Amino acid sequence: MKNIYKVNDNKFKSIYISYNFTFETKKDEVPKNVITSLVLAKGCNKYKTTKEIEEYLSSLYGTNFDINMEKIGDLYNVEFRLECVNKEFLPNKEDVLKPAIDFLYEIIYNPKMENNKFDSAIFEREKSFVLDKINKRKDEKLKYAVLKTEELLCSNEPFGTYIYGDIKDAENIKLEDIYDSYIKLLEKSFISIVVSGNLNGYDDIEQYLDNVFKNKLDKVDFNKELINISHKNRDFTSEIKEIKEKIQTNQAVITIGMRVENLEDNDFYALNVYNSILGGTPSSKLFQNVREKESLAYTAKSRYYRFKGIFVIYAGIEEINYEKAKTVILQQIEEMKNGNISESELNSSKESLINDLLEWNDSKISLAKLVYTNAISGKYLTIEELICNMKEVQLKDVAKVAEKVKIELIYLLGGENSEE
Amino acid sequence: MKNNIEIVNNETLSETIHKTVLSNGLEVYICAKPGFTKKIGMFGTKYGSINNDFINILTGKRVDMPDGVAHFLEHKLFEKEGENSLDLFSKEGISANAYTSFDHTVYYFETINKFKKGLEMLIELVKTPYFTVENVKKEQGIIGQEISMYDDDPNFNVYFNTLRAMYINHPVRIDIAGTIDSISKIDKDILYTCYNTFYNPNNMFVVIIGDVEVSDTLSIIENNIQLYEKNIKSEKVIKFGVNEPKNILQKKIEKDMGLYMPQISIGYKLMPTEKNEIVKREVISDIISEMYFSKSSKFYEIEYNKGAVSDDIDFTYEGTTDFSHIIISTTSTKSEMIQNDIFSYIDELKNGEIDEKLFQNTKRRKIGENIVESENLNNSYRRIIDSILHESQLYYDIEILNEITIKDIKDFLNTLDYTKAVVSIVK
Repeated sequence: MKNIYKVNDNKFKSIYISYNFTFETKKDEVPKNVITSLVLAKGCNKYKTTKEIEEYLSSLYGTNFDINMEKIGDLYNVEFRLECVNKEFLPNKEDVLKPAIDFLYEIIYNPKMENNKFDSAIFEREKSFVLDKINKRKDEKLKYAVLKTEELLCSNEPFGTYIYGDIKDAENIKLEDIYDSYIKLLEKSFISIVVSGNLNGYDDIEQYLDNVFKNKLDKVDFNKELINISHKNRDFTSEIKEIKEKIQTNQAVITIGMRVENLEDNDFYALNVYNSILGGTPSSKLFQNVREKESLAYTAKSRYYRFKGIFVIYAGIEEINYEKAKTVILQQIEEMKNGNISESELNSSKESLINDLLEWNDSKISLAKLVYTNAISGKYLTIEELICNMKEVQLKDVAKVAEKVKIELIYLLGGENSEE
Repeated sequence: MKNNIEIVNNETLSETIHKTVLSNGLEVYICAKPGFTKKIGMFGTKYGSINNDFINILTGKRVDMPDGVAHFLEHKLFEKEGENSLDLFSKEGISANAYTSFDHTVYYFETINKFKKGLEMLIELVKTPYFTVENVKKEQGIIGQEISMYDDDPNFNVYFNTLRAMYINHPVRIDIAGTIDSISKIDKDILYTCYNTFYNPNNMFVVIIGDVEVSDTLSIIENNIQLYEKNIKSEKVIKFGVNEPKNILQKKIEKDMGLYMPQISIGYKLMPTEKNEIVKREVISDIISEMYFSKSSKFYEIEYNKGAVSDDIDFTYEGTTDFSHIIISTTSTKSEMIQNDIFSYIDELKNGEIDEKLFQNTKRRKIGENIVESENLNNSYRRIIDSILHESQLYYDIEILNEITIKDIKDFLNTLDYTKAVVSIVK
C-alpha cells in the first residue's frame, strides 16, 4: 500500500502512529512551516480548541497527540504523532485506535478556516510561541553552544537553521501566509504513515488508513540526494575559524565543528564507530582525557549527524582553561587521524553501537523511526542488517574516514560571571 | 540457600515482581519483562544528600558530614586501583552510570546480552571502594564543573530556590552535589566512614528489570555478594533528621540569570505523611495537574489567551516521610500575572465544586497513560525504588486510581495553605 508501513510486536501494549510530511525548505521558510503545523494541531472544524482536543483524547483513554519537527539533513520533517492503547488492554475492549486515526484526519485535512484564512487568534498565539522558542534558545547554555555550532558550521545550508527558524523571518509572517504554506505542505511533501506497536486485532489497519486518507498519500518526488550528500558540492575551507561569544554564565562551553569530506553512503558505519571512539562513551578518548585525566570538564562528548555528515564536539569548562581544553581535544582528533586506536577501543565501540541498535527493538517509536528513515532514503535495512554491517567495520575503515574528517570551526561560549 | 520469595502481580499492567530479602538483609526485586531486549540491574543504598547526621557504624559515635558527600562518594566508587569502572563497563559494551538523590544513591547498568557479566561487575563496583588522597583531589575538579553546569541551569535554580524558600532547617534545601567550598572539605576518611555505614547490605537494595530468569538471577546476586562480605557489619543505620518548623523561610526568592523566558515555581509546604499515603498524594496530584492545569483545562486556556503561559504548567507532589510539598511550575514573560492568577485560582478550586464528568474523564486518561508507561522499563524500576523508600505497597499507584474520590481531591486541595506558599522566579 502506498507509503503506509507497519511494525507489529506483541510485547507492546500500545500503538504509535506517525504521519509524516517531509519536504525541502529554504531557510526563510522554516518558521512559516512550523507555525502552520502548530496552528493545525491547535484546533480544527470538529475540535475547535486545544481544550476540546484534549478532552476528546482523554475520553480515548489518554491517547497522546502532538507534533514533532525535525531536520533530516537539509530536509525538514513535520510529524503528527499519536500514541494509544491496544483495545485488548482496555476495559470492555474498547477500541480507541480507529477513532484516533479519524481524529488525525480531522486535524490535518479539516482545519479551522474561513475563506482560506486560518483562525487569527490561534495564529497570533502560535506565532508568539515560536518567537518565544527562538528567543529563549540562549537560556540553556550547553544546548545553545551546540545549536550555535551547527548554525555556524552550515550557515548557508537549510540545515544550519534553528528548528523554529530565524527570528527576522518569524516576525514577518502574516496570517495570509499560513494558507499558502498549508497548501504547499499538502502538495509538495512526501507523505508517509508508520504504525508500530501491538497491532493484534488490527489486521486491517493498513486498509483502514488507506480508506481514511485515500488520495492524500500520493507520492511527491523530492530529491533524496539532499539527505546526505548535499555537502559534496560545497566548497571546503581549509582554514579553521575560531569564534568567541560572550554570555552571562558561570561555565564556558568549548565546541569544535567538523565536516566529512566526500561522504559516501557506506561511510555511515565507520563514522559511527569513529564518533563512539572519539567521544561517544565513557571509554572514549574525550571522556578519558578531557575529563578523567585532566579534570577539565564534567561533560565532554562528540555527536555525529548522520544525515548531514558533520560532527560537533562539546565540553563544559572553566573559561581560563580554554587553551588547555582546546589543545587536549585537538590532540584526540589527531590521535584518531593517526590511527592510534586500540583493538579494545574498536571492539567496545562497536559493541556499544550494536547494543544501541538492538535496543531499538524495545521502543515502538525507534522502530517507527527506522521504517521512516528507510522510506525516505529508499534503502530498506533491518536492524539485523545494520548490525551486520556495523560488525564488519575494521580499524582501517575508521582510519580511512578519519582522514576525511576536517575541522572547520572552534567556538567558545564564554562566561561573564566566570571571573568570580 | 532457600529464599522466601514474595510474588506481586498486577493485572492492569500484566506485570509481575519477585521480591525477597537475603539473609544479610539485602532487599532484592526482580521485575520480568518478557520480550524486551534490554536488561537493567541496579544496586542502591538508602543514603542520599540529606543524610549527613548519623551514627558511624564502626565507632558508634554521632558524626556530621560536609554537604555533597553522598554524591562525591558516588563519583569516587567508580575509581579503582589503576582503572575506572565506568571504563571497564564501557569496554565490555555495557553502559553503566549512577545517580544520587535526596535519600538514595543508585548504581546501574544496562545491557542486551551480557546480563550475568554486568551484574557481577555491578556488585564488584559497589563492593570494592578504593579511595585515595590523590583520586579524591582529582574528582574535586570534575565535580566543580558539574556544580557550575547546574549553576547555569535555569530549571535547577528555580527548583532549588523554591526548596530554599520553603525549608528552614531541612537539608533538602541544599544542593545534592554540595558547593565548591563544602566538597573541598571531603577527604578519603570521610568517604570510608560514609561508605562503611551506609553501604551495608541492611541499608541496600538490588532491582532487576528485564527478560531474566528469577532463580538464576538470585543465585548470581547471592554468590557474588558473598565474595565481598567477610568483615562487613550489616545492621540498621541510625540517621538523624532535623526539626523542621511548619512555616516557611521566605515568601519570595528571585534570581537574575539574564534569561529571555523567566521560570516561575510556586511551592506549598505540607505536613509530611508516610507509606501508601505518599503514593496516594502523588496520584491525587497527578489528577489535579491534569484536571486543572494541563492544556485541556479551562485555566490553561484563559492564561494562554492572555499570553501569560506558553509551555506546560505542572503540578507535582514531592515527599518522603520527613518532607512534603507541592510545586507548581511554568515559564512566562508575565511572571507577576501568572503567579497571582495561580494563587487566586487555587482559592477558587478550594471553594468550588468539582466537575464529576471531568473527574471521570481524567481517570480514563490516567488508566491509558499507566498502560503506555509500563512499556518503558525505567518506569518499572522507579515504581520499585519508590516503594522501597516509602515502604509502600507495590503497584499501589495503579490500584488506588480507581478508589480516589472527588472528596479526596477536595481534601487535598484544602491542605494547600497560602501562608505556607512560596514563589521562586528565575529571570
